[in-house]
Formats: sequence, C-alpha cells, structure tokens
Amino acid sequence: MSQKGLSLPLLLRRSLLHRRGRTAAEMIALTVSAAVATALLTLYASLDQKLHHQFRAFGANIVVTGQSSAGNAGLPANALEIARNTAGSDARVVPFVYAVAQTQSGAPIVVAGTDMAAVRQMNSWWQVSHWPETRNSAGTGGPVEVLTGVRAAQALGSDRFELVYNGKVLSAQTAGTLRSGDADDSRVYLPLDIFEKWTGLTPTTLEIQAAGSAQHVQTVLQRLRRALPGTEIHAVHQLVEAESNVVSRTRSLMLSSLVLIAMTVAVSVLATLTASVFERRRDFAVMKALGAAQHRVIVIFLAETVLLALLALVCGYVLGCGIADLIGEWNFHTSIAPVWRVLPQVALLNVVVALLAAAIPMRLLRRLDPATLLRGE
Amino acid sequence: MDESQEPIDSAQDTIIELREATRQYKGRAGEVRALDSVSLSVRRGEWLAITGPSGSGKSTLVNLLGCLDRADSGSVWIAGKDVHTLSRQELDQFRAETVGFIFQQFHLIPYLTALENVMLAQYFHSITDREEALASLRRVGLEDRAAHLPSELSGGEQQRVCIARALINQPPVLLADEPTGNLDAANQEIVTGLLRSLNQMGHTILMVTHDPAMAQMADRIVELQHGRIVAERKLTATSPV
Repeated sequence: MSQKGLSLPLLLRRSLLHRRGRTAAEMIALTVSAAVATALLTLYASLDQKLHHQFRAFGANIVVTGQSSAGNAGLPANALEIARNTAGSDARVVPFVYAVAQTQSGAPIVVAGTDMAAVRQMNSWWQVSHWPETRNSAGTGGPVEVLTGVRAAQALGSDRFELVYNGKVLSAQTAGTLRSGDADDSRVYLPLDIFEKWTGLTPTTLEIQAAGSAQHVQTVLQRLRRALPGTEIHAVHQLVEAESNVVSRTRSLMLSSLVLIAMTVAVSVLATLTASVFERRRDFAVMKALGAAQHRVIVIFLAETVLLALLALVCGYVLGCGIADLIGEWNFHTSIAPVWRVLPQVALLNVVVALLAAAIPMRLLRRLDPATLLRGE
Repeated sequence: MDESQEPIDSAQDTIIELREATRQYKGRAGEVRALDSVSLSVRRGEWLAITGPSGSGKSTLVNLLGCLDRADSGSVWIAGKDVHTLSRQELDQFRAETVGFIFQQFHLIPYLTALENVMLAQYFHSITDREEALASLRRVGLEDRAAHLPSELSGGEQQRVCIARALINQPPVLLADEPTGNLDAANQEIVTGLLRSLNQMGHTILMVTHDPAMAQMADRIVELQHGRIVAERKLTATSPV
C-alpha cells in the first residue's frame, strides 16, 4: 500500500503507466520530433563550418597580384607574410610565380614556382599521381623533382628533361603528373626557392583561401586591401557566391524540413491526445464532480503532456546527436559533436509542439459536462 | 412549501431549497423544459427519494442539487447559499465541501487504488490525509482492500469505495444516483445498510431511484413527471435526527 498522500506527481505517474499504449505513442511521436530537431539544429549549427570545409577543396577565393599598371608585376618582398597575418590563422596563402622557359627542343613552356606543401593543401581537388617528396637544390647537379601537368608531360615526351630560362639550365625529373582540367595541365610546377634561384623572379601572385562566410571573405578582402596597397586584390566571385548560395539554401531547406516535421508530429500528438482525453472523459468528469476547478483538471492534463515532452526531449536529444553524427560521417566525412546550445531550442520546440497539440484536447476538456457523462448519457 | 424570498439560514433545519427552479434545454424540436418551476425543501438530516420515469427531470434535478448545472430561473439554496450567485470557481469549491456523490456506476479512477480514490476527493478539497482516508474506508468495511485497484474489487466493494469517497470531506449532503442499481442483492443490502446508518448519523441524503423498495427506505418520496413534482409522500412519522 502506498505510504504517501496523493500528489500531482503520483497522479501523473499512475496515469501514464496505466495508459502504457497511449503513453508510448505520445512518447514516440515527441521523441521523433526532438530527435529530428536535434539532428537538424546540430547540423545547422555545424553547417557553415562543414560547408566551408567542403568549399575549401575548390581552391582560392581571393587572388592578390602585383599592379600591372606599375610595369613590374612583382609583389612586395614581405607580401606573403603580410597576407598570412592579415587573412588569419585559418586561411591558406599560397605564393605563385610564373615564367616562360624553353624545352630542349626550344618549345616554350610555362613554369610555375610555388610552395608545394601549401598548394597541395589548398588545391586538394587536383588529381595528382604523385606529389614531389624530395627535391634537390638547383646547382647540385641532380635533377629537381617537379609536378608536371598532363598536357605539358605529353609535350615534353619524357619524365626527365631540361628547361632553359635566360640561358640558365634546370635539370628536372617528373615526380608526378597533374590533371586539373584547366591551364594548370600545361605547366610544370617546381618548388619556389629553386624557381627563385633559377630565374631570379619573386612571387607575382598570392592565392588565398579565406575560411568562413561570404561576409567574412569580404572582410578579409578589405583588410588585405588596406594592408597591401599597390596590389590588385579581388575575390573569386563565382566561388564565394556559390558557397554563400549553397549555405543559404541548405539552411532554408533544413529549417523548412524542421517546420514540416514539427507540424507532422504535432498532428500525430494531437490525434493521440484527443483520443486520450476522449477515453478518459469520465475520469476528468469525476474530478470535476469531486470539486476540481477547471484549471486543476487542465493542469493535470497539461502536466502529463509536458512531462512526456521533456522525457521525449532527453531520448530525442541523444538520438538526434547520433543521427547528426551519422549524417556528418556520410556527407562530410567528419564527426559532428553534440551542440549543447541547441538543447534549449529543442526543448522549447518540443514543449510548444506538445502544447499546440494539446490545444484542441484542452478545449474538449473545458467543455466536458460531468452531469451528462456521469449519468452515462 | 416556503415561498418567501428570505435565505434559508434562518430556518436552521432546512438545508436545500428550490424556489420555482426552471431548467430548459435547446433540442432539435425547440426548447425542452426539463424542470418546470419546481419548488422543494429538504430538511437537514432528511432522506429524500426522488422517483419518476425516464425523462421526468430527475437527472436535471440531481444536476442542480449537485451544483453541476444552474437553473435558468428561480433559485437553488444549499446550506444557506444561493448557488446562482456563486462564481464558477466558488461553485467548484462549494461542491467539494457540500456535496458527496454516490454514482450508480461508481466512477472510480481505474489507475488509483481504493485509498487513492478516496484521497482524490481530499486532493480537490484541500489536502490529502492518508489516515483520514483509511478511516473512511474502515467505515465502509474496506480498510483491508485499500491498496486494491478498482478492477480488483467487486461491484459492491467499488460502490462502498464510492461511498467512502463521498464521505471523506464530511459534506452535509449526500447525492446518491441509483446507488444500488448495479449491485446484486447481497451488495444492495450492504449499501442500503450503510446509507441508513449514514442517515442516522445525520447526513442528508438525496437519492434518485427506480426501485420502489429502495425508495421506501427514505423519509419522504418525491415523484417527478414532465419536469414537475406530481406527488410527495412522507414515510416516517418521526423527524430524522
């Protein structure tokens, strides 16, 4: 026998356990709501980061070049350092310098000097058979390992070749070929320091990949313009706009899905709650006959609903974090950690869905006529 | 019957008084007068049986006396209060304090034990008191069944729990709607005995019944037809306690 008096928690516990089937149906609907909301809001919160990560694979979104009107297209000597400091630690900055050399047969060929490690990170979409791993300094006699574009490799005809620039000869060995689908395929890439020693030229272009939203890219752009006067700086608009559009549309899609799912769940919970009130109308009528004020009967009903919504929140949050992580693995190939700040939002959504769904059943409750019901009419 | 407009408080032995009470409902065929200018006075401690065929207005009268409904015209005084003047919230509280319901179909909450069903009336009245609820069950001979759910009790036992629930807040008026209508003969006897002893202890009982034998237990029988009192019979010579 219970040693306690009768209290609201006891009433709720007894009622929910007694109606196991209905309770389970309401719990499942509200858990699905919480899980979907958690998954979508977690993904939504991580969306910028994940999509920017994806877009980073497409290369630079800002290009800095020496002013062509100045006659000398070279960048200031400290341009690379300034650009790195200005663009931020999460940005990638890769220097490039180009020259037209000659092959052994006298054919012109574009040769580029760059930071191989940095370009490998920034242009991860390049299809490279093998990146140069070791390099010999010019003048030591051994061939320099280079990355040769597929069209350039065809023109050269051999993996080992010599290039001539201003009468200076460079012995090179193709470490791997590059296929990008554009002008890069016709070039030979070699390490920047070797290129500089061989040609005496310094970087003329900085390709920068700024991480973040389109607004952030614009901010970086403005800062670079202030920090590097006398250079030409422009955004790769197609890439920045495409990224902005994809982020914006994906967000809209996710929010729309969330609203639709919440509405579907609300309808499902509404049906369950209405059936529940209908089944228990005599119990509520008895409470009214025993002197329960209208608001006390409604509080009992709402407390049951809110309790279920909060229990479902706990289950749904755990489930939703798992779903978000799986979606992250499948789509972005990275894990998505739980985002605690979405918990209050999911709680609010779940309680609002439950209360919205309870609105019509509450109306039924208010209109319950104990006199009629208790006489079995 | 008393036709004066004075509150009944002045008459200490009158606990219920209806004055020209009328209640009508809108039906498909127009307005139906379920209760038509009924005047009725019940003395404190009286056992009144209300009889009549279906549709005679018994239910409507019970609803008015149980404060579950309001008269369209006329007045209903219970324990010195004109219930028409009470707000909805005051009426809920007044019902909890003044009327104990005994239903034909018991209407116990299925997921609460017998003890908890009794305490439910306390819960909506003020605060729950387990010992008091147990005492109420003891009074109807069901203390040992306190922890049982209604589904584990017989019909007679459920009705006795219903009576214990009706008594727990010590209301001056017990409203019994066909209290033995769903019981076998043995349980009818037990419940009738209980009502008799409650009446002897001073409880005012208003009982709706179709059963002439049950009606004979009362001090007075009022017969309704077409919403009006058509007959009234006093059965005992002595006044109730």
